[in-house]
Amino acid sequence: MPDVETGFGVWVVGRRTARRAVRSAVVWGVLFGALVANEALSYHSGFPDTASRERFAATMGDNRGLTAVTGPARSLDTLGGFVAWRMMSLMLVAGAIWGFLTATRLMRGEEDAGRWDLLLAGRTSRRHAAGQAVWGLACAWSVLWALTATGTVIAGLQPSVGFSVADSLFYATAGVAGAAMFLAVGALTSQLGANRRQANALAAVVFCISWLLRMLADGQVLPGWVRWTTPLGWIENLAPLTDPQPWALLPIALLTGGAGWCAIGLAGRRDVGQGVLTGSSVPPSRTRLLNAPGGLAVRLERWPALAWVLGLGALGFVFGLVARAAAEGNFGDSSVGQVVNRDGGHVSLGAAWLGYEFLYLAAILAFAAAGQIAALRAEEYDGHLDHLIARPVSRRSWLVGRLVLGLGLVAMAGMSIGLGGWLGAGGRGGLDALDLLQAAVNVAIPGLVVLGLGAALYGVAPRLAVPLLYGFVLWSFLVEILAGTLHARWLVHTSVLDLLGPVPATGLDGQAVTGLLVLAAVAALVGFAAFDRRDLATA
Amino acid sequence: MTAIRTQGLTKRYGAIVALRGLDLEVAEGEVVGYLGPNGAGKTTTIRCLLGLARATSGRAEIFGVDAQARPSVAHRRVAYVPGEANLWPDLTGAEALHLLGRVQGAADTAYRDELVERFQLDPSKKVRAYSKGNRQKVLLVAALGSRADLLVLDEPTTGLDPLMEQVFRESVGDARARGQAVFLSSHILSEVEALSDRVAILRAGELVEVGTLADMRHLSALSIEATFDAAPPDLSRVPGVTGLVVQGHDLRCQVVGSVEPLLGVLAASGVHQLLSREPSLEELFLAHYGESGSTREPSHA
Repeated sequence: MPDVETGFGVWVVGRRTARRAVRSAVVWGVLFGALVANEALSYHSGFPDTASRERFAATMGDNRGLTAVTGPARSLDTLGGFVAWRMMSLMLVAGAIWGFLTATRLMRGEEDAGRWDLLLAGRTSRRHAAGQAVWGLACAWSVLWALTATGTVIAGLQPSVGFSVADSLFYATAGVAGAAMFLAVGALTSQLGANRRQANALAAVVFCISWLLRMLADGQVLPGWVRWTTPLGWIENLAPLTDPQPWALLPIALLTGGAGWCAIGLAGRRDVGQGVLTGSSVPPSRTRLLNAPGGLAVRLERWPALAWVLGLGALGFVFGLVARAAAEGNFGDSSVGQVVNRDGGHVSLGAAWLGYEFLYLAAILAFAAAGQIAALRAEEYDGHLDHLIARPVSRRSWLVGRLVLGLGLVAMAGMSIGLGGWLGAGGRGGLDALDLLQAAVNVAIPGLVVLGLGAALYGVAPRLAVPLLYGFVLWSFLVEILAGTLHARWLVHTSVLDLLGPVPATGLDGQAVTGLLVLAAVAALVGFAAFDRRDLATA
Repeated sequence: MTAIRTQGLTKRYGAIVALRGLDLEVAEGEVVGYLGPNGAGKTTTIRCLLGLARATSGRAEIFGVDAQARPSVAHRRVAYVPGEANLWPDLTGAEALHLLGRVQGAADTAYRDELVERFQLDPSKKVRAYSKGNRQKVLLVAALGSRADLLVLDEPTTGLDPLMEQVFRESVGDARARGQAVFLSSHILSEVEALSDRVAILRAGELVEVGTLADMRHLSALSIEATFDAAPPDLSRVPGVTGLVVQGHDLRCQVVGSVEPLLGVLAASGVHQLLSREPSLEELFLAHYGESGSTREPSHA
């Protein structure tokens, strides 16, 4: 009789968790690596002389509001300082959110779906299965780190960059430290919450409090030592590429290890399907939206949609702040403006910055749109759609309803970005409301195209639709950020982001917008027709 | 008007023929049991009927409406209970019942409340907190409470305890009494036997038997058990006799067709005790599939 603790069965849990977590880790790792490499390699073209670098450092470094949002700016007149400042906040936020969402999906989500029971019926125990799941998450984090480090090291070895390998590795470690901590936090909240949603909410609360404390400390609203009370502050204290402090890894390692250890311990002490903090399974009945499939879709998607709209609006605000600071600091006139306005026209500096930064938001919004297609595919895969289609609901009306919801999300998120950008810019830097309205429309267009293409893929090949769509968005984003270094222009044109100009640095390209909207509409029609003709495919 | 009519309904998945030229009718107010081993095509039939799967060829009608071409119109008079009770986990039972009733377009809320009581369902809990049986109850209450003219039930009592299964049988009986048609796919032969006016048996995608149980029994082998004062006679040459088993003075066999030749031999052989019995649904079912219940592929499959 094999020993329970060393039996083969227990490794199945670990391998399964690792396999599933590594998929998204690869995506984010490639993205982080490519972004870091891009920032490092494009620094000299963006800031070709000492004067422009010093102007940039003086403006950004002294801006308390901006520092509160993006973190402290150290040695901004150096390449290392610039890369650290540009990428660290993005990586720690994206990594942390990826971390806790992945952990709760693969631990609490599996439990909610009943698959955890099947695994536990094998030669394992609750505690050891949780231990293996945590090991699987650690494997995924290792892949994330390795890919981020690869991109940083490759860029760092270029003569124009010149980071040492040790500095690059430390930077990559700092960049994905947020992911490590919040993978562990997600594993812990998976034991605390009564279900995955509660586990996510608890982890999100930890993240938000951590972010808020860091922001108040960086904005000098609270004393600087407060930064030591928050996990996101610990990452800032690592100061990679400027003044590396490896000992600041200690609290990060302690939190990660401690949360992981607690998660494993709690998993062994509680009943499967129950949380340590038992939630109410008897909530008040709310039927207001539950009168039709459209209302159901709103009910199911409203909180994630709201999070996207507010989150993107907040990012728009941050980028508006950056644009305003850029305009007031009068830097980049020979750099960013030239990069953005390739045709040689003249644009305001604020508009140039915002046009450049908003391409990132367009890509994120396209990811949100892909998420809508993933959600409707999940409705079918989980068998929920059968209950609707077996009643007097036509397939077409259901799909139209879901796409209209997605369209509403994309439109609201686009407007939220525009509004956030306008508020952040505060009417400075040559940015008026009309400019940002056009920018809002511009950032929404890729999302609409993704919805249309997603509908087509969903109709034609439902099982492949979600990976293909996410792959397309990721491809578009990577191609766009590497556009400057790609010689094959046809490759650049495969990006859904490429056809749009960097509004508000340029005007809205009516022809491109119309063309893309027609493409989206035609693709959606193909999707309707194919969906009408195929079998519903459940698990 | 017939509740369900299929003509030459065929469904292929690539090279696999899941359903082959199905011709089936269910009359209004009739309860039809639909039997077949795993993979025989029962669920495929139902999914084609409901437009969840597209038929490769053939026609499926619900109350005269083409269920493939106009499914949402056909579904106005149908309520469906799938075998997998995979409802939205974040809704409560009451919310799920409300949603399904509204989407159905018709629900007798008083009767639905009565069914909630009968099935002892606590609708205030979230679906994720329900056991499998309780999730199934939500779907049964939603379907039965809709008072739809046709109930399509695909293994509807999965997860129900014997008491609740009895409630289910009573509820289906009520539905039949009100003139609702029921198409019941089930593996529980006693359930089908108790509820069904007619039974359809499917094998490897083909309908191999359909009719009332009385018809099937009449056409099927009669089980004979006889005890003799001395050694039993040799019945191997008696027309229609099969499955002959002799143990001491006891004999068991089946006879198809007229029993007259057999009775003649038995009467002349000093039979001490004679017992004849019609086959149960289980025996009829097994007769089509063999004792193992495994599906035998038709020669042209």
